[in-house]
Amino acid sequence: MTASGRGWTVVMLAPSVGLLTVFVLIPMTLTIALSFYGWSSQTPFASARWIGFDNFKEILSVGSVGRDFRQAVGNTCIYAAASIVLILPLSVALGLLVHQSRLRCATALRTILFSTYMVPMVAVALVWSKLYSPTEGPINQVLGWLGIAPLPWLSRPDTALEALVILNVWQQLGYFTILAVAGLTQIPETILEAARIDGARNLGLFWHVTLPLLRRTLLFSGIIVTINAVQVFEPVAMITQGGPVGATNVVTYHIRRVGIERSEGGLGSAMAMILVIVLSAIVSLVFLAAGRRSEK
Amino acid sequence: MEWRVKNRLTILAAMVIGVSFSQASAPSGYAQEAPVSISFLTHWPPETVAKLTKAASVYMKSQPGTTIQIRAVPFADLLTTLRSQAGASNTFTIASIYDLWLPELVRDSILVEAPDANAAEVKKYWGGSAVSAASVGGKVFGYPNEIDLYGLNYNKKLFAAAGIVEPPRTWDELAADAEKLTKRDGGQATQQGFGFINSWAAGVVHPFAALLAANGGALIVDGKPALDGKAATQTFEFVQRLINAKVANPTMGTADANTTGPFLDNFVGGRTAMIIMANWWESALRTGMGEAAFADVATTPIPVGPSGDMSRTISYTWLTVVNAAAGKPQRDAAWKFLSWLNGPDSGENGASAMGDLLVSMGILPSRQSDVAAFSQRLNSPFLAGYVSQLKAAKPFPVVLGGQEFTDALQHHLEAMQFGQETAEQAQEQAQRDAVSILSKAAHQ
Repeated sequence: MTASGRGWTVVMLAPSVGLLTVFVLIPMTLTIALSFYGWSSQTPFASARWIGFDNFKEILSVGSVGRDFRQAVGNTCIYAAASIVLILPLSVALGLLVHQSRLRCATALRTILFSTYMVPMVAVALVWSKLYSPTEGPINQVLGWLGIAPLPWLSRPDTALEALVILNVWQQLGYFTILAVAGLTQIPETILEAARIDGARNLGLFWHVTLPLLRRTLLFSGIIVTINAVQVFEPVAMITQGGPVGATNVVTYHIRRVGIERSEGGLGSAMAMILVIVLSAIVSLVFLAAGRRSEK
Repeated sequence: MEWRVKNRLTILAAMVIGVSFSQASAPSGYAQEAPVSISFLTHWPPETVAKLTKAASVYMKSQPGTTIQIRAVPFADLLTTLRSQAGASNTFTIASIYDLWLPELVRDSILVEAPDANAAEVKKYWGGSAVSAASVGGKVFGYPNEIDLYGLNYNKKLFAAAGIVEPPRTWDELAADAEKLTKRDGGQATQQGFGFINSWAAGVVHPFAALLAANGGALIVDGKPALDGKAATQTFEFVQRLINAKVANPTMGTADANTTGPFLDNFVGGRTAMIIMANWWESALRTGMGEAAFADVATTPIPVGPSGDMSRTISYTWLTVVNAAAGKPQRDAAWKFLSWLNGPDSGENGASAMGDLLVSMGILPSRQSDVAAFSQRLNSPFLAGYVSQLKAAKPFPVVLGGQEFTDALQHHLEAMQFGQETAEQAQEQAQRDAVSILSKAAHQ
C-alpha cells in the first residue's frame, strides 16, 4: 500500500476508531484500573487508593458483599436461562405460525407481536407491576374467575424472579419471533420440497430439516437474549428493588447499588469486571460449541 | 442638553437608591444581586411539590433576580440522583436528603457547610437532636425540616369488630390482639393482625429498630453494632413469634420504588389491622382510604418489650442541603432562600412555609416555632400518637456505612419473614455483617 493509501485508511478509520476509543476503550480501561483501587465514586480519580486485589477478595468473601454478589449472579443466571428456555422455542413456534402463507392475518399478527418490543421497558414495568398486584391485579382476578387462588407473584422470594421472567418474555418475544421468521424465509423452498418428496412430514420435517437450518438464527437469538437478560435493570429498579430477600437482585442493579448508592466505585468496578469476564466466557463457549457442531 | 443632564442624574440617582434598597433588603452575608437561577431537588409527592412551587413563587416575587426550579424524583431514585449529579454545577443547588446519607455526602465533599448566619439560625431555632442530625463534626450542613417517628398505626374499625377496646401497650398484648384480628384462609392470613414490610430498606429496618428501642435496645451504641445484646435477641424472637403464629403474612407487605405497593394497599383496604409506620404516610392513607375511612386510623406508642422500661421509638430527620459544586452566587441564593423558606415570615401565623407543606403531608416539622404554630393540627388522632413520643424518641444512628448496614440488616429481617433464617441465625449474621460494614467504612 502506498503512503497516500495508508493516509486515507487512517483518515477513514479515524472517526469510528476515535468514537470507540472515547466511548468504549477508555471507560473499559478505567473500569479495569479502578477495580484495583479503593475509590468513592463521588471523589476525583486522584483520591483513589491502590488496594490490589482487595475488591475481588471482598467479592469472593463470605461477608455480606460476597453473599449479595453471589446471590445477584445466581439470580441473573436463572433469569437468563429461563428467558432463553422460554423465548427461543416460543419465538420459533410463533415464527412458524406467522410464516405460513395460508395465514391471512400474518402481517397483522407480526405487527402485534413486534409492538411489545417497541414499548419502553419502563412503561412495561409500570403496567406489569399493576397487573401483578395481589389483590387488585387483573391477573389474579382472572385466576379467581377460574377458581384458582390468587398468586403472590412479586411478593414471594420463590415467585418474584419468575414473575420478572414472564414480563421479559412478553416484551422480547415479538422481536425474536421476527428474527425466527427472517430465518425461516432464508430456508430454500427446494430443500423443504425435497424432504417432503423423501417422505418427511410435519414434526419430522421440522425436527430434521427446518430446525437445523435455523441453527444460525437461533444461535444469534440465544446470544442476544443472554446479553439482554444479563443487562436487565429497569423492571428490578422500578418494581422490586431487588427484593424480597434479594430474590430479584440482579448483577446490574447490584452494581448500581454498590457503585452509586453506596459510592464504592472501586468495588462496583470489580463487580462489573467479573460480569464482563463471565459474559465473555459464556458467549465464547456458545460460539465454540456451535463451531464444533458445524464441523461435524 | 440641560434636560438630558438632569434626566441622566435622575436615572443615576434612581439606580443608586435602587441598589441601596436591594442591599438593605438582603440579609447580611449575602453578596448576590445579579440574576441567579437555582434548583431544588426533592422526593416529595406532586401535591407537596405544588405547595413548594407556590412558596418559591412567593419568594421570587420579592426577589426578582432569583429563579427557583423544583425537581422531584421518586424516593428510591433520590440518592442515586444526588450521587450521580453531584459534582456538576448545573444540576441541583438545593436537595432534600435523609440524615443517614449525610456523613458520606460530607466525606465526599458533595455538600457545602452552612454559612455562619444560617448555622447560627439552625442552632437557635431547632431542637438539639435536629441540629445534631443536620451536623457532621459539629458543623451544620443544612436546615432540618421533617422529623419522622415510628408509631403503631391501627384500624379502630377492625379492633371494634374483634372486640378489642384498647390498643396494645406491651408485646404480649400486641401478639394477643394480632391473633384476634387475623382471618385465615387455608392457613394463610387474608386479614393480618400485624403487617411487616419488605423490599424497602427503611420500611423493614425502622419498624424493627422501633421495636428494639421499645425493648430498651439500640442498633448501634457508641458507634458499634449492638445487635448481639439481650434486647436485640428478644426483638428478633418477637418478630419470629409473630411470623410463626401466622398473624403476619409477609406476602402482604411488599413495597415498590415509590414506597407504595401491597403493604399500603392492604392497610388502606382494611386487610392489615396494625402496622408500625412513620407519620409521613398520613397523606398516602388519606388519599387511599378517603376521609371517612381514614378517621378509623389511630396511632399509639410502640408497645413495650419485656426489657423496656417505657414506650420508646426511633426518629429520623430530613434536611435541605446545598450542592458544593454550585457556583457561589447560586449557593448564596440557595442559603438565602432556605433561610426564608424555613423562617417564621414565609408562612401564616408565625409558621414557616416549610412547616406548612410538611404538616400537609402529616409530617412533624422540626423548627420549634412551627411545632407551636401547628399545635392544634398536630393534635389529630393520627398525629397525636406520634407527637406524644417526640421526647422519648431516639434518633436513627447516623454513621459512615449506615446505608450498607441498613441494607444488610434488611436482608436478614426479610429472610426471617420468609422462613429462610431463624431468629438466632438472623441475629448472629446481622451482627457479623454490621461489624464488618462499619469497620470497613470507618477505615475508608
